[in-house]
Amino acid sequence: MSSFVIAAIAMLLALVPLGVVLCRAEVMSAVVAYEAIGSVAVLVLMLLAEGFRRSGEFELAVLLAVLLLGGGLVFVRFLERWR
Amino acid sequence: MARAVIVDVLLGLAVAVVLISAAGVLLMRDAYQKAHYVMPVSVVAPVLIALAIGVQSGWTISTGQSWLVVAVMVIASPFLAHATVRAIWIREHGGASRDLARAGRDGERQDGGRL
Repeated sequence: MSSFVIAAIAMLLALVPLGVVLCRAEVMSAVVAYEAIGSVAVLVLMLLAEGFRRSGEFELAVLLAVLLLGGGLVFVRFLERWR
Repeated sequence: MARAVIVDVLLGLAVAVVLISAAGVLLMRDAYQKAHYVMPVSVVAPVLIALAIGVQSGWTISTGQSWLVVAVMVIASPFLAHATVRAIWIREHGGASRDLARAGRDGERQDGGRL
């Protein structure tokens, strides 16, 4: 198991506290946790693509990084208008 | 050997940044404070990982794509953080910025005076 895969597994541990905030905190704190979880997911995809030597899978990370901006903006625009 | 050590150090730093930021998001009191801890995850950690991939692989397609991810995240994250904090502020102050913008269009200030 390469160090990139080990780092990806270690990075997944960050999803536990972020998931607690996502489930238990008030809605805008949950949005912040959602954005952090999305960023961690991008990093994990990068690490796994390099760890398994599959350069084609970097496209998933690129795509998720782009969609993270669009999805996050939709969330915050929705939540600033509706309570 | 030295290359492997550098890669491990960079990956360890990236993991530490992400774990500390996740703890910060968990422990801070309100959403404003929590929002500060998203930025290291989306700016610092990708740079460290891209450096590690560059050291490991040299100039390959993987390195180029990892720096593309870094570029997207470094450009997008400040916009998203700004939009998030603006949304939190508008929710807390009852749409005060929209009222202010409307008053600006009508030529009136919030305290009733003319602009």
